[in-house]
Amino acid sequence: MANVELKNLTKKYGEVIAVQNMDLVIPHNEFLVLVGPSGCGKSTTLRMIAGLEEITGGEIYIGDQLVNEKDPKDRNVSMVFQNYALYPHMTVEENLGFSLKIAKVNKNEIQQRVKDAVKILGLEELQKRKPSQLSGGQRQRVAMGRAIVRRPDAFLFDEPLSNLDAKLRTQMRTEIKKLHQKLQTTIVYVTHDQVEAMTLADRIIIMKDGYIEQIGSPIEVFNNPNNVFVATFIGSPPMNVLNADVINKEGKIYFELDKDILMPCPESKIGLLSKRKEVIIGIRSEDISPSISNSTLDDLWYFEKTIDLAEPLGTETQLFIKLKNKEIISRMYNPREIKIGEKISFSINLKKIHIFDSETKKVIR
Amino acid sequence: MIKKFKKILFWFLVLFLLILVCMPGIWIFVSAFRPNPEILAKPANWIPDKWTIHQFTQMFSISGYVSVPAFKYLMNSVIISSVSTVIAIIIGMMGGYAFARFNFKGKNKIFLGLMLARAVPGISLSLPLFILFAKIGIINTSFGVILVYVAMNVPFTIWLTDGFFRQIPKEMSEVARTDGCTRFQAFWNVELPLAGPGIGAAAIFAFLLSWNEYALASVLTRTVHSKTLPIGMMDYLDEFTINWAGMCAIAVVMIVPAVILTFIVQKHLVSGLTFGGVKG
Repeated sequence: MANVELKNLTKKYGEVIAVQNMDLVIPHNEFLVLVGPSGCGKSTTLRMIAGLEEITGGEIYIGDQLVNEKDPKDRNVSMVFQNYALYPHMTVEENLGFSLKIAKVNKNEIQQRVKDAVKILGLEELQKRKPSQLSGGQRQRVAMGRAIVRRPDAFLFDEPLSNLDAKLRTQMRTEIKKLHQKLQTTIVYVTHDQVEAMTLADRIIIMKDGYIEQIGSPIEVFNNPNNVFVATFIGSPPMNVLNADVINKEGKIYFELDKDILMPCPESKIGLLSKRKEVIIGIRSEDISPSISNSTLDDLWYFEKTIDLAEPLGTETQLFIKLKNKEIISRMYNPREIKIGEKISFSINLKKIHIFDSETKKVIR
Repeated sequence: MIKKFKKILFWFLVLFLLILVCMPGIWIFVSAFRPNPEILAKPANWIPDKWTIHQFTQMFSISGYVSVPAFKYLMNSVIISSVSTVIAIIIGMMGGYAFARFNFKGKNKIFLGLMLARAVPGISLSLPLFILFAKIGIINTSFGVILVYVAMNVPFTIWLTDGFFRQIPKEMSEVARTDGCTRFQAFWNVELPLAGPGIGAAAIFAFLLSWNEYALASVLTRTVHSKTLPIGMMDYLDEFTINWAGMCAIAVVMIVPAVILTFIVQKHLVSGLTFGGVKG
């Protein structure tokens, strides 16, 4: 039971930077998710915390103790791997008790702790089986059990659900969340799946090329992305982004979304533009919705466009239109039949648009 | 009807090939149990008229040997082969593990060097080794032969165990290390048991190579002190006569333990370990 702290953590492979000057405090009992595309340094960070990867620079503290020079065995963290890495020559029971046996814990205590873990994870029937006789979900459960038995200061999960099929993944996701509530321990969880990150995390860290792009609660990073990368990475379908020229027409400021489609800049944001000629506009698909009647609300702005493609999903239909040759997705709730080529009126909620600098790709606030 | 005929034909063919392959072995075995003149009979006499264990009693007689000190040779062979195998396996295991798991400077070159060492025919080393061993006084000792066999087997055992360790996902040792193992404990408790069948295979190969080796031993061993069975066999070669029956008998003594050993260990090799710990 402890917090984990990274100070100025850096990892280089030769000239290649995997993680760059990472500063992070993970308080006790937090469920922290590191998310990002492959090669962003998230797994490397996790492996450095575990001690499996040597660090190039910086410091790692677990429970106020500097662990830079400590072996993995002395850090009291447990890791769950993507491919489970169960010991194939041991039964489920032996797998669970292995770490305690190595630590020379007495037999009765081992039995008790294994029994507890088995109960928490519902593995009662499988205790005598070898890993090869288990299904994917069961193996995953054993791998988690093996981590629990040690009563570590922190759990480290390295894409633990990637090898499971979609249905099982959702189920195990819920189980991991429940487990966290039951165990009250710090968890650092790595994934490339933003849905997993959103659903599990107390706090999300979005990483790219070894840098932290944004830290925040799931809702925070969803509603207020710091930059274009975070905006398009979090949320499904990804946020629509397009380059737009800033046009001054008859004393009013507009964004040119497409030829002859001028979206007015909301009053509150005019001050932020400061002579920019071009910006990147980000609009979530739920904020562009087809609407029939022209409402008089100030925040809504309307335009018409023909439909390129429609994907009905049941609860909603995703409509694909083109603005400046870029595909834009709009969500239609309460769907009706849509004909391709049909011209439809869309409304955009101007309060919800995101404006990014076209050079730095950072949000303009 | 035709189908049945085909099946019968197939089995006859298999039987024929089997006999063809086993013929030398069968001939040795049969000849070990009959008198010398009968071996030389023309046309060949396939089933002995008279079975005898004369050659074996001569070799292994309790009151001391009469023909050839086969028991001593057998002991030499057992000691030299098993000691050199154990040493070669221990070194090979550690070397193979290092090549499979660690990155170090010149790794590929060293590995290539080891493989090239295997390409050198042993017999070409016999003269330099003879001179060297004679100078430092380990000629005609079991120690000298063991040394040579270890050197001969190590590149091979490294190569084989390296392959087996590579097949074990490195997460195995990583998870063991986060489970509280030192690197060595992870190796000993997890990776070694998983590589067991591979190491067993390497051990058999190394043992058989030492057990059957003739060329180098014929140069490096001179007397009953250190001669192994294959060299001892040549004791039956006199200036004017060859005791074929005796040679066959000593060949049987050589073949039987090797076959039994292979038989015992191959069961473990085949049963192997089914990898289920990792989803591939």
